[in-house]
Amino acid sequence: MLSQIAFWGAVELGLVFAFVAIGVFLAFRVLDFPDLTVDGSFPLGAAVAAVLITVGINPWLAAAAAMVAGAGAGMVTAFLNVRFRILNLLASILTMIALFSVNLRVMGKPNVALINADTMLSPFFGLGLREVYVRPLFVGVLVVIAVIAVWRFLESDAGLAMRATGANPRMSRAQGIDTGWQVYLGLALSNAMVALGGALFAQTNGFADVTSGVGTIVVGLAAVIIGETLFGARGILLALIGCVVGSILYRIAIQVALSTDALGLKASDLNLVTAVLVAVALVLPRLRRGASS
Amino acid sequence: MIDLSNIHVTFGKGTPLQKEALKGVNLTIEEGSFVTVIGSNGAGKSTLLGVLAGDVMASEGKVMIGKTDVTRKSTSARAGLVARVFQDPLTGSCGSLSIEENLALAARRGERRGLRSALGPRRRELFRDRISELNLGLENRMKDRMDLLSGGQRQAVSLVMSTLSGSEVLLLDEHTAALDPGMAEFIMKLTQRFVSERKLTTLMVTHSMRQALDFGHRTIMLHGGEIILDVSGDSRKDLQVEDLIAMFRKMRGETLDDDALLIG
Repeated sequence: MLSQIAFWGAVELGLVFAFVAIGVFLAFRVLDFPDLTVDGSFPLGAAVAAVLITVGINPWLAAAAAMVAGAGAGMVTAFLNVRFRILNLLASILTMIALFSVNLRVMGKPNVALINADTMLSPFFGLGLREVYVRPLFVGVLVVIAVIAVWRFLESDAGLAMRATGANPRMSRAQGIDTGWQVYLGLALSNAMVALGGALFAQTNGFADVTSGVGTIVVGLAAVIIGETLFGARGILLALIGCVVGSILYRIAIQVALSTDALGLKASDLNLVTAVLVAVALVLPRLRRGASS
Repeated sequence: MIDLSNIHVTFGKGTPLQKEALKGVNLTIEEGSFVTVIGSNGAGKSTLLGVLAGDVMASEGKVMIGKTDVTRKSTSARAGLVARVFQDPLTGSCGSLSIEENLALAARRGERRGLRSALGPRRRELFRDRISELNLGLENRMKDRMDLLSGGQRQAVSLVMSTLSGSEVLLLDEHTAALDPGMAEFIMKLTQRFVSERKLTTLMVTHSMRQALDFGHRTIMLHGGEIILDVSGDSRKDLQVEDLIAMFRKMRGETLDDDALLIG
């Protein structure tokens, strides 16, 4: 099976991508907006954070800047959709494609290394705990904070308006909710989360790469679906916890699949394995329903 | 108070399918008055309601609700003034949200929605009280998802939602048409009670002439985008469904081929 290091590495990566899962949950489930912007906003967050850190900006500030950049990317997609009525999926693909060029501009080259730079994690490495544990612990604490913040938001008056917009836009307008504004807000929030994931990815892995965004959306969706399969639809908090648990389980499953020699898989098979996993996660609830009826 | 002056609505202007849905409608409804609206399909009932709700923009004319000119205001921007119950029970509430969440949404209609918890203990209590007035036992199911309720139950909750925040006007869009007769009667009684208790200025569109005469203070009939009948007071008290049809024929001087729809 997995070595200690491989296991905790998978947990850490799962926690980093929990931010992506939460972002995808906000767009796909709360707003009912299939948003592919995330494939661009994840590397955007990584790029912004990495570049700012290399020029000596405080890594926490760099992560905050990454979130602002991600929010901006989400706003662009919302603008294309709300203002010009471009189909939601297409609007997000346009932003995603544009972001590839933007990310190259931000970094000035295809990748930026953060090898000797101070990151958000640096102060915690000297405290006696082994690095393998410090990383997932640090990201885990941030994930808990994010889950609580998003949960409280979605249960507030403002968050309820966002959920209603996704569930029944006509009724929402009749209740005085400006549904266009909710799309702006929701996609900004969603992509800010994803970009924060990107910023943490860059800092935990020591680099930002322009291609690191490919398939982000599928990974996020996989986590959301695994979470839903495990926890069902029982409230916002459980759905968010489902995103986190789903993201971690997904990474462990991938790690196991790739490190089991008997299967003969290579790292380059990752996307195929992901697609199969998502398909299985999508089919499972249906099979279960079929068996019970 | 509602004041419509010279409202024209034209759909598909400049195309071969151009249709004038409302042709210079003038209508003033005093505060606290309950008006029922009838008319055959395509008469302009839904357009009239849409003009008031904000779903349809008048191509000409002025729409006043209370002291506010809402002619150019979007649906969401005027929602604080207008409460609405839809024909389809699925439209008026969010199926994936709980009963109390739907009520919380309606309680903030037309107000700023901040970051305070949508369901504090005081609001929960208020919602429970309001729902228990329905005597449907729903007060014990406040956390149930809305889509677990029957159409009639959903419509009853929608009515409560429409009266949670103080609005000038209540619009009822054939809100009993999708219900079985028993439930329709229950919803109408409830409507009557809410409207008189809260002295709401109400406009109810209905397919049923019976309903149109039995409820409210005044009945108007639309045909071809114009108001062709407007009765209230004593002349309305003596009116029978048959009279309405006869009157309709006389005023238009044409035979109706859709009596069945009118009588409904």
